[in-house]
Amino acid sequence: MDTLEICYMSAGDLSTLVEKKEVSPVEIIEAHLARIDATEPILNSFITLLADESRVAARQAEKDIQAGRYKGPLHGIPVGLKDLYNTAGVRTTSGSKIFDTFIPAEDCTVAAKFQQAGAILLGKLNMHPFAYGPTGENLDYGHMHNPWNPELVTGGSSGGSGSAAAAGQCTITTGSDTGGSIRIPAALCGIVGLKPTYGLVSRWGLTALSWSLDHPGPMVRTVEDAAITMNVIAGHDPKDVASAKVDIPDYTSALRGDVRGLRIGMPKEYFEAPLDPQVRKAVQDAVSVLESMGAEVKEVSFPMFNESQAISSTVLMSEASAFHRDLIETDGHQIYEPVRQRLQAGLFISATDYLRAQQARTLLDQEGRRLLDDVDLLAGPTDPVTAPEILAPRVLAGEQEIGVVGALTQYTRPYNINGFPAISVPCGFSDAGLPIGLQLAGKPFDELTVLRAAHAYEQATDWHTRRPPL
Amino acid sequence: MAAEKQLSREDFDRQAQLHGITGEPAYLDELYAQARGVFIMAETIKNIDVSGTEPEMAFIPPAD
Repeated sequence: MDTLEICYMSAGDLSTLVEKKEVSPVEIIEAHLARIDATEPILNSFITLLADESRVAARQAEKDIQAGRYKGPLHGIPVGLKDLYNTAGVRTTSGSKIFDTFIPAEDCTVAAKFQQAGAILLGKLNMHPFAYGPTGENLDYGHMHNPWNPELVTGGSSGGSGSAAAAGQCTITTGSDTGGSIRIPAALCGIVGLKPTYGLVSRWGLTALSWSLDHPGPMVRTVEDAAITMNVIAGHDPKDVASAKVDIPDYTSALRGDVRGLRIGMPKEYFEAPLDPQVRKAVQDAVSVLESMGAEVKEVSFPMFNESQAISSTVLMSEASAFHRDLIETDGHQIYEPVRQRLQAGLFISATDYLRAQQARTLLDQEGRRLLDDVDLLAGPTDPVTAPEILAPRVLAGEQEIGVVGALTQYTRPYNINGFPAISVPCGFSDAGLPIGLQLAGKPFDELTVLRAAHAYEQATDWHTRRPPL
Repeated sequence: MAAEKQLSREDFDRQAQLHGITGEPAYLDELYAQARGVFIMAETIKNIDVSGTEPEMAFIPPAD
């Protein structure tokens, strides 16, 4: 089999071949290492590549499978973890040279689950330092580059995960999403990113950015792979104080449903905000596709959306500055300057302002729940623009020039505030050939409906089959 | 404008000193702009009617 085909196969398809012994984990890993060799000088997706270790693991997986000890759909499949997921014996930098030599003693819960499932850790992926930024800048380990145009950002903070999955460097990657850090790079790199409900996937062993807003989740090329990954990583974890005790369904069961009768709301406020006309059209067309497949689409109103930036920023900045306070004092001069400034600016937020933001958060949550009494999903753009240039401070969104950070997080932050599940799925390309993402958000713990709609849309279109020109 | 009234440069310098923040003048100018932004956000949130609303941070002791 052509090695590039192996690199672009989904975990779902690869696992079928692995189980039938038609392709071996060794072939899969070698194909990906060759792909990384060819593309990494352009993309810079990895902070730590585990070439030797992954080869050893692949040989072991091959032996196990040959001996009839097949573990399931991720056995022998390459996985890359954002470099704030602790990995036993493998350095975990959180995207900063301050932690260049930090080697955790234990796996985070998600890494341990991947290992139990037989997945092969290919490496640790580049990220915005401390996950504190939506673009994928990193002076310590080099900026991340968008596979569709390397002069443009990947989006962040899980930028290396976005580029690695989009470019066929890795089958499954993970991100963490505090203000959009899974969905933003997913949209800008043309892949699928799922931010699960808060508490559904354990945060234990991940470097925090904002305790109450952090969501780990999958970044992959197909909705099926998001479901397969969720089957492995979701579930209660007593080590995580925010971990939810809920029944975990078979997420792949969502892939067998259609969207007939599904009620989809389009918040009118999304389309009153600064928005590139090409993104607007792609998203409206995508919702029309869902409507043509039997979904009932209607306009809804989400007024608290207009307050979401202020609420999210106040909570996030307060918690991030509290988490990193000692580091700011001891090693502040070593922190990437824009990140250090954000961390220091957070020190100026008073406790009463933080609590008032948390009160406003309650209102946004209540409003979101009321909306989802009337509809099953909320649909809109993931980002109002396609990928901006690396280090550009501002971007044109429709007729308005706005700050890049505010622009990229415009549509994603509300679902960090209320913790609802939200997915970004490719829904088109701009005239410049850049990917556009459709965001679908659902009721808490109703990932099945989110995945069902995203999968139905994906199967009705071919955006996910396009490959970047690398 | 209200935000500028709430965080003068003198107030910023004093608070920065209390937080142990140091840096070149250009760095502090940029940080001052960000700190003023924080106050503008606070004003936005103060304008939301949160009466009768509790913050979403109730601590519930684990049952087991």
